[in-house]
Amino acid sequence: MTEEIRIGVYTCHCGVNISSVIDIDEVVNYAKALDNVVLSRDNIFTCSAPGQNSIIEDIKEHGLNRVVVAACSPHMHERTFRNAAEQAGLNRYLVEIANIREQSAWVHPQNPIEATDKAKTLVRMAVAKARLLEAIEITKTDVKQKLLVIGGGVAGLKATQDAAQRGLDVTLVERSPTLGGHAARIGKLVHTNISGSATVNEFVDQISVMDNVTILTNAKVTEVKGSFGDYSVSINIKPRYVKGSIPNPEKGLEACPVLVDNEYEYGIDKRKAFFKPFTMAYPSSYVIDMNACTHNIDGCDKCVTACGESHIDLKMPDSSSSEQFGTIIVTTGFDPYEPKVGEYGYKENEKVITLMQLERYLSDDEIDFKRIGVEDPQNIVFISCVGSMNDENPECSRMCCSSSFKNMIRIRHVFPNANIFFLYQDIRTYARREELLYETASAKQVMMLRWDKESPPKVDVNGDMNVKIYDSLISEELLIPSDLIVLSNGMLPREGYKETAELLKLPCSSEGWIQEAHAKLRPVELPSPGVYVGGTAQAPRDIMESITTASAATAKALIPILQGQVEQEAQLCYVNEDVCGACGVCITTCPYEAITKIDLPDDRQVANVNAKLCHGCGQCAGACPTGAMQQKNYRDDQIYAMINALIVGGD
Amino acid sequence: MVIELKNKTEFEPKIVMFACNWCSYSGIDLAGTSRMTYPPNVTIIRTMCSGRVEPSFIMKSFANGMDGVIVSSCHQGDCHYIDGNMKSLRRVKLMQHLLDGFGIERERVNFVGISASEGVLAVDTIVEMVETIRKLGPLELEAGR
Repeated sequence: MTEEIRIGVYTCHCGVNISSVIDIDEVVNYAKALDNVVLSRDNIFTCSAPGQNSIIEDIKEHGLNRVVVAACSPHMHERTFRNAAEQAGLNRYLVEIANIREQSAWVHPQNPIEATDKAKTLVRMAVAKARLLEAIEITKTDVKQKLLVIGGGVAGLKATQDAAQRGLDVTLVERSPTLGGHAARIGKLVHTNISGSATVNEFVDQISVMDNVTILTNAKVTEVKGSFGDYSVSINIKPRYVKGSIPNPEKGLEACPVLVDNEYEYGIDKRKAFFKPFTMAYPSSYVIDMNACTHNIDGCDKCVTACGESHIDLKMPDSSSSEQFGTIIVTTGFDPYEPKVGEYGYKENEKVITLMQLERYLSDDEIDFKRIGVEDPQNIVFISCVGSMNDENPECSRMCCSSSFKNMIRIRHVFPNANIFFLYQDIRTYARREELLYETASAKQVMMLRWDKESPPKVDVNGDMNVKIYDSLISEELLIPSDLIVLSNGMLPREGYKETAELLKLPCSSEGWIQEAHAKLRPVELPSPGVYVGGTAQAPRDIMESITTASAATAKALIPILQGQVEQEAQLCYVNEDVCGACGVCITTCPYEAITKIDLPDDRQVANVNAKLCHGCGQCAGACPTGAMQQKNYRDDQIYAMINALIVGGD
Repeated sequence: MVIELKNKTEFEPKIVMFACNWCSYSGIDLAGTSRMTYPPNVTIIRTMCSGRVEPSFIMKSFANGMDGVIVSSCHQGDCHYIDGNMKSLRRVKLMQHLLDGFGIERERVNFVGISASEGVLAVDTIVEMVETIRKLGPLELEAGR
């Protein structure tokens, strides 16, 4: 027996926002005459307490079992009216909104007659869908009381610290053998004048001794299953091959015959395959880089001979762990732009270096340019926007101007007589106190020359290393013979961002930055519920901004955990098994691997949706050739009813 | 208040626009909150993702008297559901080939990416579509089709 459909329609004046254009009485009377509408009223503000109360009372008094609100956008108050319905004991999905403010009153103010007609159309369509609405069960999941942080740079460290201080169990997974990311390799940080590694260690010293923090380095998340509140995560941990702290690492260092570019020094020197990333690295033990080590090729075991078998085991296996997490924070960071060979003479002359390499040259108190033959430089040239603000990467990397100025000021102290040039496309010292850097650099006779995107400077790496720049402010071409050229390289999305994005089903911008759920309203939340983003995985940022966003992400990630239970997406897809032919189109369409084939007792195969994995997008339903796949609240028949109701009498 | 009196004999296109919940629906809302105006010929139906829009929605719209259909999504690469808009774009492009066979001008279906911040693009899309369809004239389907 089907229940009688009893619809209440509430047309809102929205003060005068709607009623100054649309004839509310006409809409109210029109709605009254539609089939199944048992009640039609207007409110000055339906979203106000009296407005909501009238809905609640009518549901009880008049036995309404569907509610249509003709008012503002559902993005504004759908939640409000659904809550009101729930308060009256009606399932929240039995409410439908007709958006007559944003889609009619506000966009057709000059045409009140047509605006009123359109409002009637929108109400007719909403009523048509309302007749077919169904209650949707809302399921709740217990939230696992544990947080996963992916990426151990400053952002990940801050997120770990914040959550751990709240008393939560946190697992921090870092891909490389040490914590700290790029921040740990910066010579001296701007404003504080403290080294990057000392800054990072402020976090590390604290979290590394906390019982509720698990730090996994050399580790990688390999699989994420489950859903909001209950994510099952598999983590693979590569061995260090070195057992704890060894008494005689210098012997191993000496014995190791392999030399590779030292990524912790941005390639300005070499390291062994047996190495420790940097002095203050955490964990502080040595590690063997198996990608560089030749043991698996030629059986080299010189480090084992030197240090002893009890300290090094080159056959140490990978280990893995699988754990449940309530929420996940992604702080996977960035890669510095690596200039192409020959870009401004990079790699063609060793006196052309990047900003990140400069940080390493400036990392000690003594500036050490001698090893690239720079002893008493006359002219030092910085070139801005290398790898940023161009056609390939339109983003400003935000930190390079300030960082360049910081380093120019530092260089000025060491080489008071050198000419320092800053060839810029644009100067963006936007953050608090950074304008001061620009002013200080100006006062210290840094010469600033502006170039246009169309005619960037040209570097001739031979002879005097002439830099040719057309200064667009004075319309003159200048030739600067230079002793050192610094390329202010920007930030790019981390290599392998796609892998992370696929694991967690995250959308990325076309450049590869992880994309938030809403640019304004949900800046650290991601579309996958229970997953948050902080730091430079999302956009180029300086250290302070990375830390700020990491704290924000942690605050958001703690909410579901502290709530204890979360609601799962309800507008899910489901299969009408009678019609499904098991063609599998939906399986390949689903971006969340939520659909599989199952066998029915009568030996037929049909598609089946895993409700825990379904995000409720309806892509499978859009692709299904038989109509077997449907989405709750967006079923074919509901949308057909709206299409039919587009024309008068069509409903 | 100025009331425009339209010549009743002039053809007024009837257009339906499917909009995804995240970007394009918000972009169309933004046109409203920014008090931009567009002709009232276009009516919006919301789906969570443009990937939900199936060919039958488009054909039903034509069969039911619509002269044009717009499918709007997030920009490519910005889909809230990873790549539903790419699937939808492909589907609409295929639909356009099918429409040729039905004798329906392919311009009657338009696919467009509109971000939540692009109220202007939402308005431009609607205005252009109304003009395109006005030039094409009403869709006349033979009985039985």
